[in-house]
Amino acid sequence: MQTIKKVSFMGSSQHDVALSVSGLNKSYGDFKVIKDLELEIARGSIHGIVGLNGSGKTTTLECLLGLKEYNSGKVSLLGNAPADLHRAKGKIVAIFDTPSLPPNLSLRHCLQHASLLCDKPVRTPQQAEALLGLEAFSDFKIKHLSLGNKRRASIAHALLGQPELILLDEPFNGLDAGGVDDVLALISKLNQQEGTTFLLSSHQLPYLEQICSHIAVLHHGAIAVNDSISNLLENKEQSVLVRCKDKVALLTALEGMNQVQYLRTDDDGLHHITIGSKTSAELNKALVEKQLPIDELIVQRASVASMFRNITSGDSE
Amino acid sequence: MNQYLLALLQALKSEFFISIRSFSSKLILLAPALLVLLRYSLVKISESGEQIRDSISGSPSFEDAIAINAWGYFVDGLGTGITMLGLVLIAMAAYSFSYERDTGSLRHLLIRRFSRMQLIIAKLLHLHLLAALSILLLLATAYFASGLFWEFAAVSEDGFELISEQEIREEIALGLSLALVPIPAAIAFGLFISVASHSATQAVSTSLGISIAIDVFKSMLGDYALYIYASYLPSLLDQSYLQDVSRLVRGYSDVLIDERAQQLNMLVPLPSLLLFLAAALLLVRKRNL
Repeated sequence: MQTIKKVSFMGSSQHDVALSVSGLNKSYGDFKVIKDLELEIARGSIHGIVGLNGSGKTTTLECLLGLKEYNSGKVSLLGNAPADLHRAKGKIVAIFDTPSLPPNLSLRHCLQHASLLCDKPVRTPQQAEALLGLEAFSDFKIKHLSLGNKRRASIAHALLGQPELILLDEPFNGLDAGGVDDVLALISKLNQQEGTTFLLSSHQLPYLEQICSHIAVLHHGAIAVNDSISNLLENKEQSVLVRCKDKVALLTALEGMNQVQYLRTDDDGLHHITIGSKTSAELNKALVEKQLPIDELIVQRASVASMFRNITSGDSE
Repeated sequence: MNQYLLALLQALKSEFFISIRSFSSKLILLAPALLVLLRYSLVKISESGEQIRDSISGSPSFEDAIAINAWGYFVDGLGTGITMLGLVLIAMAAYSFSYERDTGSLRHLLIRRFSRMQLIIAKLLHLHLLAALSILLLLATAYFASGLFWEFAAVSEDGFELISEQEIREEIALGLSLALVPIPAAIAFGLFISVASHSATQAVSTSLGISIAIDVFKSMLGDYALYIYASYLPSLLDQSYLQDVSRLVRGYSDVLIDERAQQLNMLVPLPSLLLFLAAALLLVRKRNL
């Protein structure tokens, strides 16, 4: 597994912004999919958007890319409105959750065709194939490639030019563990060496946490949280999961403990408890002193995944 | 403007890159000519059978006198080929945009290089160029194949020349031009359906369904049919002038095309083309892709 280096948040002057969204609204009939969405992505950052199924991630990307009309709002990608992305001449590219390539072309022809879409191709189709490990599949028609290789082909398709902003929708779908590592390493390399900005929409939180400098959580069509990962995790209270047969006794024991708060009991019978700045050892000691038998005590590390679960289950941090 | 034209040229290049590697373009290019060859072969086999029958019975028919003139077969071949070309072009135009939308490949073109309007115009030009190539191939095939099987000659009766070869050529040129004028409108109609429909299957079935329905019902429309571009396209139930030319060069008829019908034939398709193109360009701007 390769080490992925995250980039730090850059300045906030206007020309340092790769993508900005302000007051974006999109409805399907009476159903509001996106509600007053606000988002700003700095040049050179790797920004992740996470959300549950149906939270509006793909619709948001489609609105940003000018593929779907939106009801109101202001969107700018490298200074271009969604309907005018073609004016950026290949500086903005997108990779979709379904491989959106001509199915009857061979991989090589498909990449040659993509070269026509670049103002100044920086890679030949052969180099793009080599970059993604697709040399053996040059003559295969796109429709005959496996899902993982179709996704690699989509990425190769995007990398013939020198894009400044890449939007990826569910980039890890269909990839095996090695493939995911390769894609993460490639994103990191492009970001560090060429300064490419990325917007990744995914529900694969561990991967996003590994690669992204920033995370935005999309919940019910609005951005619930948007910050750098370090900021998101900095002030996060530590929590523990406690398995204890006597819930009433546990709650009684927790009463009066400073900074300790019972949150909920999950389907597995584990009690979720936040402990503020206390350590799990201190909590364990306090419960033992109150002669409460504890079957299991699990420390929950602060992670984007736990933060996301708390947001989407209705709890706030 | 220069940038716009360059992008349009690039879009056309992109269309041709995919088209020369696709089966559908080969179908547009070759199908009319191959159909004509098939038609001539079947007619020749049928005529050979009839000649054997007549020589056995010893009673040469009236058909023998005119059957050897290749001009009639040449015009029949053009009619058959253009009928095929019209249908294939409508289907291909309907398929072009909708299929790329179905596969999602359209998205890359729009995000990276071309505006929606440039894409539609590039598709329109691409289909016109394919149609032009197909017609040239059809003309060459029909001319050489009919010349090979039969003989080009003036229409004569009892040694008296009824219609000279020069007059025949002029009538064929008129019939051909009248038959070709509606083709751009047919392409634009297919493109409009392509943009308006929800899938490639729906686009192709709708465009062909409407075209065949017009063909079937145009005779019931009376004079109103003269204001529909499709009435002038050689079709399965042919009312185009090319069919009259076929009879004329065989000496069956000396009825020439009605001047009003000829004027409408030249005038109606152009506004139809502009109408369908404008509708397609307007719709594509608002279309979710």
